[in-house]
Amino acid sequence: MTSRVLLLALVCSVVACAKSETNTDSANRPPPLGRVPADTDDFGALLPVDTLAGARVVSLVPAATELIYAMGRGNRLVGRTTWDLFPDSARLVPNMGDGIRPNVEVVLAAKPTLVVLYASMANKAAADAFANAGIAVMSTRVDRIADFERLSRQLGVVLNAQQRAQQVVDTVKATLASVRDAVDGVVRPTVVWPLYDSPVMVLGHGSFVAELLDIAGATNVFADLAKPSPEVTIEEIVKRNPDFVMTSPVSAMRFASSAKWKAVRAVREKNVLLVDTLLTGRPTVTLGMAAVSLAKVLHPDRASRLP
Amino acid sequence: MNGITFRDVTVRYPSRPIAALDGVSFDALPGHLTAVVGPNGSGKSTLVRALLRRIPLERGNIAVNSATLGNMQAREFARTVAVVPQREEPVLPLPVREFVTLGRHPHRGALSALSAADISAVDQAIHLAGAEDTLARSTDQLSGGEWQRVRIARALAQQTSIIVLDEPTAFLDVAHEMAVFELLDSLARDGRTVLLISHQLNLVARFASHIVLLNEGKVAARGTSDDVMQGAILERVYKWPLVITRDPAVGAPSLLPLRKQRSTRL
Amino acid sequence: MSKRAGNSVGVNASQKGAVRSSHWKPLVLGVVALCVLCVLGLAIGAISIPIADVLRAVSGNGDAGTVAIVRELRGPRVLLAALIGAGLSVSGGALQGTLRNPLAEPFLLGVSGGAAVGAVAAMVFGATHPLAVTLAAFAGAAVATITVSLVARVVAGRTDARMLLMAGVVVGAFANAVIMVALAGAPAAELRGALWWMMGSVSDATWGDVGRLAVAVLVFGGALMWLARELDVLALGEEPAAALGANVDRTSRQIFLLASFLAAATVAAAGLVGFVGLVVPNIARALGARRHRPMLVVSAVYGAALLVFADLVARTARTPQELPLGAITALIGVPFFLAQLRRLH
Repeated sequence: MTSRVLLLALVCSVVACAKSETNTDSANRPPPLGRVPADTDDFGALLPVDTLAGARVVSLVPAATELIYAMGRGNRLVGRTTWDLFPDSARLVPNMGDGIRPNVEVVLAAKPTLVVLYASMANKAAADAFANAGIAVMSTRVDRIADFERLSRQLGVVLNAQQRAQQVVDTVKATLASVRDAVDGVVRPTVVWPLYDSPVMVLGHGSFVAELLDIAGATNVFADLAKPSPEVTIEEIVKRNPDFVMTSPVSAMRFASSAKWKAVRAVREKNVLLVDTLLTGRPTVTLGMAAVSLAKVLHPDRASRLP
Repeated sequence: MNGITFRDVTVRYPSRPIAALDGVSFDALPGHLTAVVGPNGSGKSTLVRALLRRIPLERGNIAVNSATLGNMQAREFARTVAVVPQREEPVLPLPVREFVTLGRHPHRGALSALSAADISAVDQAIHLAGAEDTLARSTDQLSGGEWQRVRIARALAQQTSIIVLDEPTAFLDVAHEMAVFELLDSLARDGRTVLLISHQLNLVARFASHIVLLNEGKVAARGTSDDVMQGAILERVYKWPLVITRDPAVGAPSLLPLRKQRSTRL
Repeated sequence: MSKRAGNSVGVNASQKGAVRSSHWKPLVLGVVALCVLCVLGLAIGAISIPIADVLRAVSGNGDAGTVAIVRELRGPRVLLAALIGAGLSVSGGALQGTLRNPLAEPFLLGVSGGAAVGAVAAMVFGATHPLAVTLAAFAGAAVATITVSLVARVVAGRTDARMLLMAGVVVGAFANAVIMVALAGAPAAELRGALWWMMGSVSDATWGDVGRLAVAVLVFGGALMWLARELDVLALGEEPAAALGANVDRTSRQIFLLASFLAAATVAAAGLVGFVGLVVPNIARALGARRHRPMLVVSAVYGAALLVFADLVARTARTPQELPLGAITALIGVPFFLAQLRRLH
């Protein structure tokens, strides 16, 4: 029952962002200076705390785009990436490329006051260019669930929507907790999650997907490899002999028709679990639902109680 | 008519205004050693290139044993005429015997094994060219003179009625040079057609029965050694003061170049 | 000059025997090494399989997992590696003969650049059919090779070796530019896939790939073997070859095209594997196989053995990761290459 209330809250916040309002900030006064956490972004730059900074936002990080909508500030967006397909109204916002090495002139032409940028070395030059142009820059990367929580809080400060941000975080945390409870004490199957075929790359350790998998009650046979998506050989997969292969429906069809994947026992015995990789691939407001979907595939009987 | 017939042969290299060969006509007959001589750049090697059809004739024609060169198949030509080009490097070395055996290529099919006739032709050729002492080695282990003899052996292995050699004595010492000339002389006496390109005027004068002197692509003189070895003609062609002598022991005219610079010694 | 005439026949007969045996021994040795390496290739990997089980699995008996590993994972890899090694060695040997240069490589005439353009184009356009990249790579290589041949002919008026080399360099540079443009805007997944392909690997080998490459090696390699004696003559030089009755222009062109298509087929199957075509023919010649027919056979066998070994190293040196095949052949090939350079001087 609790989960249904939480789902309702989530739906409400999503619906709220569909409404176009400019300043519904009466309930969100800017907090006193002393209580603002001295946060820095992932490039070590100080976070912008001036709420005017949140007036016109270009978001070049898909996770941030979804969060901005969830916090009811979707109307502030003047630019997004190609990958931003959620929610549907995001598609109306101008597309500014894939977020790596953005075209600085195109972004500047939208006259933003804040740019949310993916924190990789490829984007460092762009970050400096925006800062020099007097635009507030927030560089971030969401690799783990904790990063998502941090990003939500940071965006809440900048967009003057801290309460909404906290709601989003709480919703997700609650859903994740419910998944943990549902599979508590269950026998954990061993799985492999292939991500790419040439070369063969599998899910490793240190990404939010790996964390979701762990929460949903499975053990990744490649959890000992430190990289998030290490390259391995099929023979290595055969050697580690997982109970299940988890993958997208498209990849599953490829395994079924591939002679070399038949060497993996799980493929031979047709123990392939289909995953909605569109849902599980986004480190954002849908993290909770992603964990639920994984749990339902891994432990259908236990997870049946989940929404 | 047997032998090689050059009629009005004219060859021009692309993008060069002056013809490398201009209206050259002469015959190389069987039973004779015919020599083509001349200064550098007179067109001697171009003649060989034209014979090998590496360069087209602008005018004129070449006939081999009365057959027009242009109509001959490459292998048919190689069974009739053996050519030893001026320069060759053993970039991919072979054992000497296998190298000489390549001379049998025009006589063999793509997959046929060596016949007894092939083997005896190779043996004879090595023997005639005096290359037996090189047999244990490969072609990258030979001295300049040995390399020359091995190449001549390959040409001899082709067992043709006509043999053309471009500067065959370039790296040979006196003894080996004389030996090659004597070999060529005996081949000519045997009835073969021997055409020789050489800058060795004195040896040519002694051995060749027919000499063609080229100058700037044209025939400047032709005939026996007495006809061609004339001081006036040679000085004009070679542009160098010289004197023609005749030693009774030698039996043919010899050319001696003079010094241009004044000195105490002559 | 005419000495020891009586001895000549006896001396020559024994020398003929000496020349023959010098390339039977390395050939037999090579075949034995190849067989041993193939068996090892089937037995060794992330999971070690005892040789007895390997032999049983080959005929389909034994545990299903072992059979799948031996027949579907390692079997195609080992055979594809052997075919690639053989194909590239024969291609390189033939090119070295026609170009009269022991340092010539099968990829000199635009093959690698053209194939890479084809493969990258197929990947960037998101082609999904499993054969798409293979066919596109072969088509790209074929187009590049023919372009090089035509450019050389138009510029030089005939098939001139130096002109071919220069045209190959030019076409290769152009291909590299095209690849850079294609990959510049490509998403990360395509970029990774393209780089992996270009570094060479037999990890995706299927029996279909093996069959196709086998046909190509038999057809193109067989044609080159047929022309082996012409190669002996061409290797002497243009003028000596013409003097011995070779149709220098036509035969050179035929050999360039055949050798390039053979190399293209290997690239289409497994990406760019360098140094094999350069190094192996020189090893064959150093072992005594100097004439082209025995040299090409010995090269094929040693090239196959080298690549089966390289693949073994590629998948066991740094488990669980797999190293690219092209890197291993370069690591083995560079010291050989340097030794050969020293020998030439």
